[in-house]
Amino acid sequence: MKKFWALFFFFWPAVAIWCCLIAPANGWWFPGKAMSPLGERIDGLFYLILGIVIVVFIGTQFAIGYVLWKGATKPEDESATFSHGSHSLELIWTIVPSFVLVFIALYQMDVWAEFRVQSYYPEQTQEDGPKMEVTARQFEWRIRYPSAGEQLKNQPQPGDLYAVNEIHVPTGRPVKFNLRTDDVQHAFFAPQLRVKQDAVAGLIIPVWFEIPVAGEYDLVCAELCGWGHYKMRATIVAEPQAQVDEYLARLQGEQNFDGVVEDADK
Amino acid sequence: MLVKTNRQLSILTIGVTLVSLAGCSGGSDYPDGYKSRFVYSDRTDSLMGEAQNGIGDLPGVKKLVDDRFGDPQKLNAWLKLPIDFGGVTGELAETPDASVAVEELTLSFDGEVTKDGDKPLLLQFVTGKAAPSIVFVSNWLAEGGKASLTAAMDVPPAAGDQVVVNGGGVLAHGRGLYMRHCSHCHGTSGDGKGPTAEYLVPRPRDYRHGVFKFTSTDAQSKVSRDDLYRILRNGVPGTYMPSFVPMLQEDELVAVIEYVRFLAMRGEFERKLVNELASDYSEAALQSRKESGESRKDIVEELKEFLTDDMQDSLAFVSDDLAESWDTANSEDALIVPDCSRIEDSIASRRIGRELYLSKTLNCADCHGISAKGNGPQTTIYEKNPITSELYPDPGLHDVWDNVNQPRNLTQGIYRGGRRPVDLFRRIHAGIKGSRMPSFKKVLKHEEIWHIVNYVLSVPFNAEPGHAPVAVPDEPAATAAL
Amino acid sequence: MATVTPAIESHSDNHAHEHDQHHEIGFIWKYVFSTDHKVIGIQFLVTTLLMLMVGGALALGVRWQLAFPWGNMPILGKIFTGEGGQISPEFYTMLFTMHASVMIFLVIIPVLAGAFGNFLIPLQIGADDMAFPILNMLSYWFMWPAMACFGISFIAGGATAGPAAGWTSYPLLSALVNAAPGSGAAQTWWLFGLTTVGVSSMMGSVNYMTTIINMRAPGMTMFRMPLTIWSMFITAILQAFALPVLTAAGFMLLTDRLMGTCFFIPAGIIVNNAEPTVGGGQPLLWQHLFWFYSHPAVYIMLLPAMGMVSDMLACMCRKPVFGYKPMVYSMSAIAGLGFIVWGHHMFTSGMNPALGMTFMTSTMMIALPSAIKTFNWIGTIWGGQVRFNTVMLNCTGFVAMFIVGGLSGIFMAAVPVDIYFHDTYFIVAHFHYILFGSTLFGVFAAIHFWFPKMFGRLMNDTVGKWHFALTFIGFNGTFFPMHLLGIAGMPRRYADPYLHPYLEHLLPMNQFMTCAAILMGFAQFLLLGNFAYSIFMGKKVGRNPWGANGLEWSAPSPPGHGNFDVPPVCYRGPYEYSSPEAKALGQDFILQTEPPVDISKIAENGDRNVH
Repeated sequence: MKKFWALFFFFWPAVAIWCCLIAPANGWWFPGKAMSPLGERIDGLFYLILGIVIVVFIGTQFAIGYVLWKGATKPEDESATFSHGSHSLELIWTIVPSFVLVFIALYQMDVWAEFRVQSYYPEQTQEDGPKMEVTARQFEWRIRYPSAGEQLKNQPQPGDLYAVNEIHVPTGRPVKFNLRTDDVQHAFFAPQLRVKQDAVAGLIIPVWFEIPVAGEYDLVCAELCGWGHYKMRATIVAEPQAQVDEYLARLQGEQNFDGVVEDADK
Repeated sequence: MLVKTNRQLSILTIGVTLVSLAGCSGGSDYPDGYKSRFVYSDRTDSLMGEAQNGIGDLPGVKKLVDDRFGDPQKLNAWLKLPIDFGGVTGELAETPDASVAVEELTLSFDGEVTKDGDKPLLLQFVTGKAAPSIVFVSNWLAEGGKASLTAAMDVPPAAGDQVVVNGGGVLAHGRGLYMRHCSHCHGTSGDGKGPTAEYLVPRPRDYRHGVFKFTSTDAQSKVSRDDLYRILRNGVPGTYMPSFVPMLQEDELVAVIEYVRFLAMRGEFERKLVNELASDYSEAALQSRKESGESRKDIVEELKEFLTDDMQDSLAFVSDDLAESWDTANSEDALIVPDCSRIEDSIASRRIGRELYLSKTLNCADCHGISAKGNGPQTTIYEKNPITSELYPDPGLHDVWDNVNQPRNLTQGIYRGGRRPVDLFRRIHAGIKGSRMPSFKKVLKHEEIWHIVNYVLSVPFNAEPGHAPVAVPDEPAATAAL
Repeated sequence: MATVTPAIESHSDNHAHEHDQHHEIGFIWKYVFSTDHKVIGIQFLVTTLLMLMVGGALALGVRWQLAFPWGNMPILGKIFTGEGGQISPEFYTMLFTMHASVMIFLVIIPVLAGAFGNFLIPLQIGADDMAFPILNMLSYWFMWPAMACFGISFIAGGATAGPAAGWTSYPLLSALVNAAPGSGAAQTWWLFGLTTVGVSSMMGSVNYMTTIINMRAPGMTMFRMPLTIWSMFITAILQAFALPVLTAAGFMLLTDRLMGTCFFIPAGIIVNNAEPTVGGGQPLLWQHLFWFYSHPAVYIMLLPAMGMVSDMLACMCRKPVFGYKPMVYSMSAIAGLGFIVWGHHMFTSGMNPALGMTFMTSTMMIALPSAIKTFNWIGTIWGGQVRFNTVMLNCTGFVAMFIVGGLSGIFMAAVPVDIYFHDTYFIVAHFHYILFGSTLFGVFAAIHFWFPKMFGRLMNDTVGKWHFALTFIGFNGTFFPMHLLGIAGMPRRYADPYLHPYLEHLLPMNQFMTCAAILMGFAQFLLLGNFAYSIFMGKKVGRNPWGANGLEWSAPSPPGHGNFDVPPVCYRGPYEYSSPEAKALGQDFILQTEPPVDISKIAENGDRNVH
């Protein structure tokens, strides 16, 4: 039985690793590759840490299995090794991990800075200013665009355009928007873009991302905001600037619709 | 020792394991399998027992409703109602030979019918001797219209019998979606009393009056499919009704809309039936009639006569009315179209709108307040429930669902029924059905309505409505650090 | 060198004389409102085991919803008759909120500090009881108002709505009564429960610190204390410094809800069409205050288990703990660093990004002592004469699971990666591997190990092994895939994630996890059954069935009033298994109370043990 248990502790990490190996093929992995440059760097960081972690995991789990096996196969009459430790080992396994950890910590400071520190935001977003205001509320996303040619102001203006659950952004350039909430805290989470930012009551938080490839991306809420937290689903539509302008023009037309149409189309 | 041997222990624990895993596969009926049930309205429950449940073979209100609408697991398609039940209608082209077992039919359909791989088609007989039986088609040849059945039919049908294939699909689909997305607020029966509902301000809609607030149809008409679509598309800002796009796809939206209409018609049908009986056969009426000398036995006899002789007419009257009103709502005649384009927004127009707002004929300020903050004097009075004649516990206006009806604070810039000029036009023209916002079509010309619309749209931006300049200076708001 | 005279004389001598003059105390004072630390420890243990089942049942409700969204939920679904057993979304928020609250405040913290801390501290340091026995009794009985408050919060909002803001209770969801419909009164009762359970913990921590500093047996220097005691000591310090902040924050939130203050509420917020808030406060303040406590809290929920596992591993492998002093320093480092990492829960919260950088650095640093401890545990097993019993298996499970939990933490410590993983199932996997996979397995081991001391009988080892195996399999089946769910971007606290197309394909995995969870849940009945049965029918044993070294094993099983019949004096460290002294006695262990043995006799007489 002793050997069984020693093998048990070899077996389960093997199952865990096998599970991770088959995961990407089964779709239990990232929802596609990162669709933004910053997202790609986050993924790169993830894989770097994953590599380190795999090595440590295999090493330590193997070590556990090995020492258990040795313990299981030790003759009954042999006594245990009377050792209080090893000073040199302690030094090694303090210094080496600390180097690895400090390396990981310092390696990605710049990614964080670019993501969150306003003075590090891409220059273009500083010039353009926020393109829209995304307001999270229980339980939907309300978008406010400035009217064509205008700058977005913090207070709603008469010409502003409103949409719900659908954000249109131009591709190929960094886009900044203001994130706020009408009521409780929510979080703007775009999984394919690897963007996440909490929306805090009383604050207006500028968030930026860049989407090179046109398409539709998911937006979900990632901070518990009440019973409808799970259904705050919206779409981020990335398209060429011309199409974004078309969309906004359409929005303006709809918003000013007065019910009188030449062809009787509603 | 409870468990003496390793072997016994092994069996015990393996047994536990199996039970756990078996329990997991048992719950595979979701999401369409939940056994929910429709509830009857309070008004139905206020009738006397015989009126609710019937006398002998004569059906009472409850059975009449159930026969026509079914229960959530087995919805009935009452073809009289203007609901798209889905499926393709057709008829039997030839009378099959009744001397042998009927296993093949020749059918002609109004639309295209295709079979989905191995899945059998569901064919239901709507008219004729075989109705309402359901048979399954294992093989379908569109050319020649030959259908092979999985089993012989019990009752042989005849040529000309109406059939429908895969009927009820839309409604069943809608029901599944409704239970998943809507029922926890709007209730299983559309009564607005789901578990989440009691905590929400405003309350979720109770469909059973057949009344919806934000419509594009005129004051007497019901809500159209397009209106319901707009609500699902845009949500109702300022309430907990969210936008359901992109959550729901187009076909899902259509299915939900049909199911909501189904629930609304069911509720309205029940309500109207109860109205036919309530004055004479409610519990309250029973008590007062007994007090004035009639015996219960006589009253029950009278009810029995009514159910035998007059009920059919009542039913016909109620259902005709129902079907027609819901049908015409979707037509162009019901749509409110302004007879002139919107008058251009200007300070002059807003001033006219403001004057109309304050005028004695319209008296908007009575509810909406002089500064349009929704705090007019009507919000402080106590009024009576028009049906029971009892005072409402809370001050202010009440809507047809007996909830407090807060007049809109127009300074907030939140427009529940939509912020387009035409939406505001329709609110003023037809009123907001079910609420205390009345229809002003009789007292206002369309140009005047446009002036008011211009004024209302300007209220959030103007310190002094109708007089101050357009844009509001941009105030700095708190931003995140760095 | 160690001194023999203690700071304060242990009064177990005096006590022995007083025994005959002791008046008979009634049943209530002996067993119910007992001031005997052993009884209090067992009271805590039984209560927390029951609460474990309650918390587990709530978790199964969560898992059921995730496996069969909006399906008919067994038992709990009976509340929702109209909907055919389909729960409402706010009910789901209540399920996970109360699961976490019960598990954290009513199970893990009390079982470690309250049950094992209470039972073991006086016994392992050679004292006859705690420094403040009446305070000790109060700390247990304060758990009952806490449980009552949490229990009332289940139903205070009506049957279908309870506290709905998560155990983290972020404002404004928790601060505005209207923001979480139905949880008005419920959230308030929850806060009362939180405060009461904090009082209970504070009482305990004061007691433990005083006892450990002042009441050690003669010869028991700080560095001869078992690691269990060190961990309890450090944990008590953590409690003492961190809890007041939570209590203060809890009061501020209560006044925000009930008395119109606005510590956490900014101006102009309209929720559920209520009046706009008056404002002036900041929601982020709560997060800072809450996590300032709750991060040390997670170490409170871990360190005692670490200490106990070290003790048990040394005993079961018959050799000293590898690197005793590094273990002590690591635990101290974890505790110290634990106070400066709280911001890693708030990377995406909108706080000043510079804080993100500092917290990332400190969080990376805190991984180091945990790694050191892990290597030391492996070193402890290495070369040991390993006994493969329930205790050993659970301890090894602890180490193996702790590795997983610790490594997954590194992903989240890296801030840019945390941007993606925050509030996804990756986090849920991480903390369950630590709190359940590590701490709770450590608790299971400790129950089996110290049961003979508590009750004088052994628990059934075979049932114990089955319990371990089934729990281990069920646990990994439930929580390992959560890492993958997190990578797939599945957010936490979602009643129905499959509404989102990018998550639809995860349903079969979630169903598998629910099956594993049900298996794990049922397996706990094996433990409970074993525990209850063995109290009355277990095999009777003497003072030291395991051949362990600690002072507690020199006392009778179970110890009587005053604990030790012979006042203990400590002569050596706690882990001298297979030492030359032990071999001179012909054993592979030597009690700390055993006077020094002349090992020269071995060289003279030849080694009696054959190598």
